[in-house]
Amino acid sequence: MTSEAKTHAIDISSLQRDNQVLNLEEETLALEVKDLKLCYGDNEALHGIDMQIPKNRVTAFIGPSGCGKSTLLRCFNRMNDLVDDCRITGQILLDENNIYDRSVEIAELRRRVGMVFQKPNPFPKSIYENVAYGLRIQGVTKKRIIDETVEWALKSAALWDEVKDRLHESALGMSGGQQQRLVIARTIAVKPEVLLLDEPASALDPISTLKIEELIHELKKDFTIVIVTHNMQQAARVSDYTAFMYMGDLIEFGVTDTLFTNPEKKQTEDYITGRYG
Amino acid sequence: MELKTEDYSTHISQQFNEELEQIRTQLLTMGGVVERQVHDCIDALLNGDAELAEQSRRVDKQTNEMEVLIDEQCTTIIARRQPAASDLRLIIAVSKAVSDLEGMGDEASRICRHAIELVEEGSSPRGYQEVRHIGNLVREMVKDVLTAFARNDTELAYRVAKMDKSVDQEYRSAMRSLATFMMEDPRSISSVMNVIWVLRSLERISEHARAMATHLIYLVSGTDVRHGSLKQIKRAVNPDTDEQE
Repeated sequence: MTSEAKTHAIDISSLQRDNQVLNLEEETLALEVKDLKLCYGDNEALHGIDMQIPKNRVTAFIGPSGCGKSTLLRCFNRMNDLVDDCRITGQILLDENNIYDRSVEIAELRRRVGMVFQKPNPFPKSIYENVAYGLRIQGVTKKRIIDETVEWALKSAALWDEVKDRLHESALGMSGGQQQRLVIARTIAVKPEVLLLDEPASALDPISTLKIEELIHELKKDFTIVIVTHNMQQAARVSDYTAFMYMGDLIEFGVTDTLFTNPEKKQTEDYITGRYG
Repeated sequence: MELKTEDYSTHISQQFNEELEQIRTQLLTMGGVVERQVHDCIDALLNGDAELAEQSRRVDKQTNEMEVLIDEQCTTIIARRQPAASDLRLIIAVSKAVSDLEGMGDEASRICRHAIELVEEGSSPRGYQEVRHIGNLVREMVKDVLTAFARNDTELAYRVAKMDKSVDQEYRSAMRSLATFMMEDPRSISSVMNVIWVLRSLERISEHARAMATHLIYLVSGTDVRHGSLKQIKRAVNPDTDEQE
């Protein structure tokens, strides 16, 4: 008779909610940042950032206003190219290719790395056309494919049940929370690899915020998600990894559970507990 | 990361500072009451002072009320402030420490009950030397663990954990000699049993003090050493400790 048969021992690891312990070293990487510096004119906003964004995880950037978290996020799909006077050195690797390489086509990069902003920005078109837009500019014309993709994207964005009977009404008639989920549906319709979310819920009410957070949790199965948020509790709720930035430096980057219970750096501790910096 | 007691008063929210400071102060106030209970129960027993024992038992009601009160405040702070990092650890540690303090109070109460029974039996004290010895160790542990909490002193907390080990050893050897007494003189069994219960309670108080010490180490260092060996506790207190030591 084996010893287990005599005892009432249970498998302790099965009690863990996610049944997994995160470890950055064991992750597959989606993005890798190497010594990234960014200047606006003479003003250096990012002072040589090195970090790794793991695949199919939610990584949150937190930090006070002006710490460079949005700037860094915008580097991931080269949004800063549009800013005059902005110089970038260093590398960001997506699938081991530097996205700042000359050969990189920006439209294609932005298809692979989609972005959602603070304020929902649906096009003044129907709900259906908003989601289909990305496919149409990619040259997809088959109605069946577009129909299927629109339905899939709206379902993935947890919006389908609310809008399926009014797909051809204007998107501008939706509530703010619905518009934001529509924008997420529009972004994922072109099947990006990485989803960048810049304060996606800060203009929404608490219930819509929770819906977006729930959506983030669902979407990480298919996408790598990077989110910038002022709301620390939101970062603690939705993310697997958290990066704390301060004055253009990455101060601490680690597993969210650890960072919010026992941070390594005093600066991180002071920020997340609301102390004087 | 070193955590100093002053750190509790540096939040941007002055209200939050006060709330955290308040639960710390209340924990120490409750600690003072329990320390007194532990002190009195041993004195009552050794001096055969039934009146002191009665008085001390009445105080236990207060300890119970304080436990509930402090725990309520911890719950409120969690709900209202969503504390993180060391603030969160403070609240968890305080909430656990109060239930250990309450446990110590219960044991002290039990000792008082036995003290009263022993006075009523009027039998000659057997095993009081052991009670005095272990009692002194336990009193010191309770005092030290409260001082450790007041100063966030993990070295002192480690010393308390170490003393718990000595208490265990003393307890075992006392049990052996009391068993011998009972075999030699069966008429003493009923009074010696009372002394055995007292020693058992003292040993439990020592366990509670050790548990409190580990809560403090968790609060300061973030490492959970509840079920750790002395060596693991030492490493949590001082990560640079030489392995060979």
